[in-house]
This record gives sequence, C-alpha cells and structure tokens, in this order.
Amino acid sequence: MTDSIAIALTLNGSALRASVAPELMLADFLRDQCGLTGTKIGCDQATCGACTVLMDGVPAASCATFAWQVDGAAVTTIEGLAANGALDPVQEAFKAKSAFQCGYCTPGMILLAKALLAANPAPDRATIRDWLSANVCRCTGYQMIVEAVEDAARRRREAPR
Amino acid sequence: MSASVRAVGAALPRVDADPKVTGAARYTVDVALPRMLHAKVLRSPHAHARVAHIDARTAAVMPGVAAAITRDDFMDLNPTYGYFIKDQPLLAIDKVRYIGDMVAAVAAETEAQAVRALEAIEVRYEPLPAVASIEAALAADAPALFETPAPGVVPAYGTGASGCRDPARNVCYRFCYTTGDPAAFARADHVFADEFRFSRMQHYHLEPFVTLARVEGGQIELWSSCQNPFALRKELARVFRHPEQNIRVHVPFIGAGYGAKNNCKTEPVAVLLAKIACRPVRFCMTQEESFLTQSQHAAILRLETGVSRDGRFIARRSEILLDAGAYSDASPLVAEKAGYRINGPYRWEHIDSRCDCVMTNTTPAGPFRGFGGTQASWASESQVDMIARRLGMDPVALRTKNLLNLGEAYVPGESGIDSDLAAGLDLVCREIGYGREKRKGRGIGVAIGFKDSGGVNKPAEAQVKATTTGGIIVNCGTVELGQGIQTAFTRIVAELFACASERVSYAPINTDVTPFDQGTNASSAIVVMGQALERAARDCIARILDFAAAQLKCCPAELRLENWSVIKDNQPHPLAPLIMRHFGGTGFEFVGRGFFKPETDHHAPLEAKCVSWEIGWGAAEVEVDEETGRVNVLKLVVSGDAGRAISKDVCRGQDEGAAMMGLGQALFETMRYEGPELVNIAAAKYRVPLASDLPETFRAVTQEQGHGPGPFGAKGMGEAGMLPVAAAVANAIEDAVGVRITSLPLSPEKVLDAIEAKRSKS
Repeated sequence: MTDSIAIALTLNGSALRASVAPELMLADFLRDQCGLTGTKIGCDQATCGACTVLMDGVPAASCATFAWQVDGAAVTTIEGLAANGALDPVQEAFKAKSAFQCGYCTPGMILLAKALLAANPAPDRATIRDWLSANVCRCTGYQMIVEAVEDAARRRREAPR
Repeated sequence: MSASVRAVGAALPRVDADPKVTGAARYTVDVALPRMLHAKVLRSPHAHARVAHIDARTAAVMPGVAAAITRDDFMDLNPTYGYFIKDQPLLAIDKVRYIGDMVAAVAAETEAQAVRALEAIEVRYEPLPAVASIEAALAADAPALFETPAPGVVPAYGTGASGCRDPARNVCYRFCYTTGDPAAFARADHVFADEFRFSRMQHYHLEPFVTLARVEGGQIELWSSCQNPFALRKELARVFRHPEQNIRVHVPFIGAGYGAKNNCKTEPVAVLLAKIACRPVRFCMTQEESFLTQSQHAAILRLETGVSRDGRFIARRSEILLDAGAYSDASPLVAEKAGYRINGPYRWEHIDSRCDCVMTNTTPAGPFRGFGGTQASWASESQVDMIARRLGMDPVALRTKNLLNLGEAYVPGESGIDSDLAAGLDLVCREIGYGREKRKGRGIGVAIGFKDSGGVNKPAEAQVKATTTGGIIVNCGTVELGQGIQTAFTRIVAELFACASERVSYAPINTDVTPFDQGTNASSAIVVMGQALERAARDCIARILDFAAAQLKCCPAELRLENWSVIKDNQPHPLAPLIMRHFGGTGFEFVGRGFFKPETDHHAPLEAKCVSWEIGWGAAEVEVDEETGRVNVLKLVVSGDAGRAISKDVCRGQDEGAAMMGLGQALFETMRYEGPELVNIAAAKYRVPLASDLPETFRAVTQEQGHGPGPFGAKGMGEAGMLPVAAAVANAIEDAVGVRITSLPLSPEKVLDAIEAKRSKS
C-alpha cells in the first residue's frame, strides 16, 4: 500500500485537513472517516446517485470519486444544508411535499435539486424531470419529488438565502 | 391542538421527515461497532456443479483475516434455511445451483483484505448440466437440482385448496384450488385458451442486503435490514441451535425492500463469522450481489376460460408455472397467492387453478410487491380484454358485467370484497377519457389488479404506553420500509387519544422488547397490526380513565380524554398532577396491549378468511410508433382504495411508486438471462424507471371508500398500484394498433414484430 495523501478541503463550510489512502473513495471518507453517514452508497457504480454530494456546487458521485480528488474543493453533504437548526428550502420542500419514502435516495436527491436550483432558479417541469433523471428513486415514482423541487424553487424566490 | 383538529387525514409532514431530509436517519448500513470486521463471500462461477473439494486454510491466515468459513464450519448446525422448505444452505454443501451461489466467506479487518483472501480459497467444481428456464427444468431429461427432498412442511389449507411437495422433478411445490362443478365448462359457448409470459424484475432496493452481527457471552445480537425480524429470529434459533431468548434483532430504518428483505439473506453468514471470529461482523452485499440473491418470479400462465356468448364468465382452468430459481425461498407462498388470485375480482361458477414452483439454475425468486398477484393480474386482465374483442364487446362493459359486488364473497367460504369495484372502474375510465373518439396510433386500455391483503392468518400484537406528562409511545413490530407506517400508526393513536400527533412516538424495533409481529409484508400493517394497535390504544385509554375515575370519584363512563386531560362535565382535569399525586413525583406509565388475528376457519380456502382485498384500478393511454414499435405512454392513471387515508400524501406516494414500478415492468425492465447467466446485472446495465420515464400525464387517485377492516375504515394499498399497469398498457397497445403482446416486457422489438406479422397477414 502506498503512503497516504494529505488533503485540505472545506467540508460543509469548515476547513478540514485529512490524510487519506490513495484508493479511498470520497463516500467512504465521508461516512467512515468523517462520520457523515447521511451520504448513502447504493449501486457503488456512479449510476443510482444515492451518494451524490456537491463539489464546489456541482453534483458528484462520491462512490466514484477518490477522496484525494476533493483536495482544495468545497464539499457539501446533506449534513451541511441546514443552517442554525433551520432546514434549507429544498429540505423544507421535500418535507412539506412528502417527497421521500424509504429516504435512502433522499440526501442525493436533495443535493441534486439544490444544484439545479442554483443553476436555474425557475426550472420548468421538463427540466426538473430531466435533471432528476441523474438519480434513482425506487419508491416514489418521482412525481412528488418533481413537485417538491417546484415548491423549493418557490420557497427560494420568496425567501432568498 | 384542539380536539376538532384531527390527526387522521390531516395534511401534516410525515413523522420521519426530519431525519430523512437531514441525513440523520440511521439505517443498518450506518451502524458500526468497535473492532467490527467486514465480510465478503466467494460465489460460484458455475450454474450447476458439484463441489468436489474446498479449502480455505490459506485464506484463513492471510493479512487481516479473522475467519474464513466453508461447509466444514457448520455441519454441526441445521445447515439449511427457507420459508416452508429448508433447502438453502448457509454456504454450498454438496453442490452449487446457480451462478452466484455462496460457497465460502471471509471476515477481515477491511473489505479489501476480505476480497483478497477469497481469491486464495481453493475450490474444485465438477460442472453439471444446468437448467436456465422453466421449459428446460421440466424437460424429460432435465437434471435435477435436488437429488433428495429437502426438509419442509406444507401449510394447512381449508376448503378447496391444497398444497404438495415435489409433485414432479424440479417442481418443489404445487398449489391447487378448485371450486364449483367442472361440468360448468360444458355450459360455456366459448372456451378461450391463451398463454402469457411474465418476465422477472430485481427489487433494486437502494440499501443493500446488510447485517451487523455480534456473538458475545452466549448472546447473538444483530442489526439487520429485515422486514420480518421475528421470523428471522426463529429461523436463526433453528439454524444455530441457539435459544431464542438469547437472539436479539434490531431493525433500524430500512432503505426499502419491495419484498426482498424477508427471512435469511446476509444474516446466517454474518452470525457464523462473528461466532467464529469472536468479533462483530458487518456483511454488506454489493448491488450486484442483490441481483444474485433475490428476484421476482418469471412465469408462464396458461388460462382456459369458458364464457357465454353474451359475456358471462363461467369457468376458468389455470396452469401457472413460476420460475422459483435455485432455492425455494418464499416460492410456495407466492404459488399459493398466484394460484388463488388468478381469477380476478369476478364471479365464476367453476375455478380450477394449479400453480407450480419450478426450480431453475438462476437467482432464487422470492417475495416481490404484488406477490403472485402481479403475474396473475397481467395474465387475467390481458385475457379479459382479448375475450371482449373476440366477443365483440367493450372491455369495460365485459368487466362490469362480471365484477363481484361490494360485500360478495370472492369464492365460497371467503370474505366479502371490501371495495366497490365498479366505482373504481368508473373513476379510472373517467380520468383516462375512456370512450372518447380515437386518434390514429393511439389507444386506451384499462385493467383491474387484484389481490387479497393482510397475509394469511397473521397474528399481531401491539403495545401503547403513556407517560406521566402525556408522551405516548407506540411499540410494535411493523418495520418502516418507506411505506409511511410510522406516520400512519402515530396518527391513528393520536386520533384515539385526541391529542396532537407530535405527542406520539414510534419505538425502535428490538425483538427482546417489541411485541410479536409476523412480518411487515402482504399489505398487512394497517389491517392486521393496525387492528392490534387500535385495541392497544383503547386498552391504554381505558386504564387511564379507570385511574382518573378513581381519583375524581366518578364512573369512567363520565370521562373522556383530550389533550392529556380528562374531561368531566366539560371541565378538563390535567392528568399529570393527578398521576403524580397518586404515584409520587416520578410519575407512572400506563400500558395498553392489543392483539389481533383472523379466526381460523376451515371453510375458508386458505384456512382463514382473507382480512381485506387490495384493488389497483389502472388505465393507460398510449401512442405506438408503427415504424419502430416504440410505445409511448401518454397518460397513466392508477387508483387504489385506502378505505380511509390516514395520510393522503403517504397513500398517493404508494400508488405512484407502485405504478412506476409497474410501468418499468410493462415497458423495459427485466433481468436478462443468456442461458443461466444474468447479463444485465446491477445498476450500470439494469434499467429502472427514471424521472424522465414519467408519462406526460400521471395521475394517482386515492379512493376512500370506507369499507376497510383497519382503524377508521382503512385498508392496505402499497401493492395495488403495481398490479394493473402492465395489462392496461398491453390492452392499450391492442386498442391502438390491433396487435396483442402476451409476453413482458412490451418491448419495441415485440411490438414491431407483431405489427409486421399483422401487416403480412393482411
């Protein structure tokens, strides 16, 4: 095994220095080393999207990203969204619209939606469907998630953060 | 909250919303213990082979390895498990029976070390001919998967139903049901014989099969992503010859199951490794391994249906062959349900059904949402449309003519149908615009999916306790899989206690202290456990009122409970001070218990009347591209009957999620086998519905007909939305382009072939 790699990143708004094995995946780093188990591993093939986190605001499959690749980046996980005990508007919308069932895909879906609304604050329904197709939800049939994203867009417009 | 604001039906967030939207929700995958090891298993590359030699001694001493196990490590145990038929070994004993069969297992400090150690296990196989399909397994010269019958039992049946083991080579179980006079066929003007094929899906639950096991001081303790922890505990006690009181199963949130997470999957291997290594062991399968662990049942369904010339259903003979895969798992139960449900929600003079579980050298098939009802509804509702067209009748009119009435027994000795079937059919016809002018290339199809719900003869027990300050804790074995049962149950209890639902919490499941439940399956939670829970809540309330009456020197009948006060003559008396005055400053807890089980009844075919009936009405409008065969579902309408929707959002989500699963099954989703090899294994190759697959118009309408046996008239509805979709789409395709596809999925290739065959005929 080769030596570990020193990385420095911003994780959920806080500076973090860590030492990671070269083969360590970001998902495992977050879950096992940082204790942030909100990031879920589903297919482990960068296909289902359960492990989605934001890297400098861009959705990334943390199961297929090496931990050392986030050196210098700002990483946001589901644990980083609520501020001072208040939910993010996307989280509020998922809660209000019951846009989840088992909840296993939910952290990834919320982060995916967050990135969509950052890129496009008023997406139409076709755009939302298209964007959400990056991730799999086996429970809901998606319609209630689409509606939650529309609701989140409204909430963001009404109370910009 | 005032008493006039009700918890049942209120537009409130789900109780699991905060943990699930913040990432705080804890699943089995998130549980860890100090000094925990990681397990990996070696899987068979052969579909069918004798295991001539196996040696894990080299692996056992590799870096980081704490235990390496093979068949040599468990022959002092009961080495096989299964629902009714105990045919699946912890690890291969004499043979392997499918590609992916578990052969050996390793526990090591890291998963990577475990994987490396697996490579050092020596196995010599002597390959045998394999059977990869139902037809191959039933061929006269087919090799047998099992040379000797595995131990097992046939459940008790009532009037007209029977089951038997091993009626033919590679058939592990046969279910039969018959009623009425076979001579009825002679009275039919037409007898239509049709064959249907049903392809199998994988559950594709995102949380993998996972267990964390610890064996310490004679105590087996495990955290498992499991739908039926009490059944699991009993099976582990039998396999490990371990006292049940020293096995404790915890079930955290489950990242869904859709049926897959019943009974032993990762658990026996994890426990055995933990026992041998004397350290906690986490066995978390990959998603590829899920595909090698459990699937839906593929099926061939042959129906002979006798009808009068004016469209009255008279008699039906059915032969269903289920592809059970390499081990029986839940197949006998699925056979029972497929065979029992095949006749749909219609009136017949004579029924003769047979369903066989055919063993093949493929992934074992087990419970899957719909549980035989999906297969049955696909075939039956396709044939109903075909018969209508042959008779020159409208398919909806044909259904209406034969539908059972509300309250009419499904078959003799059975309970009455607890939904108004015609009302639901009217509803989806209206929503889809049935009967409006047809446009070229477009068509509309309807179907009524049908199953009984509530399981078979299931007992359930619940406990409700109330603290001094009016905190209420629900304690029952129903597992939260995403279906929203914690939300439903806490609201039911809040309604009965006339308090805000925030006052009610749902206790974590631990088999040492949680009251018994048979399992979270069969849409049984609301109609079986729900009845136990209602009784528990009422029992708890009665104890509180008895206590308060003694304190207030009145009769309990003069009191009622509201917002943790007892109301007497319109005067509220807060309970906390009353309780502390009597029990002291630390207060007390009132505990109520409730039990429910359907009555055993030998006149009922399944030995107890079905608790409830779950109906999924569906309608689809499609556009078929006659050049490519591509089917575009423009509009999909599904409707279930919740009886009473405890949470409207939860009910809607169940119908929509089930319908999209059904749409995947209808159009593209299937496990593709080339011979015995599964070629589209795991996410990168296996296509599931995405948001982009949503039909342009997608409506789920939750009916609240009010006839359910559960609290406030509720009934189970988590499976219904899946049942009608495939048949509704196939029926719509025929309406659009005049071709009938009788095998799933309804792929462009099949549709195009059928269109071309029709063109060349005309």
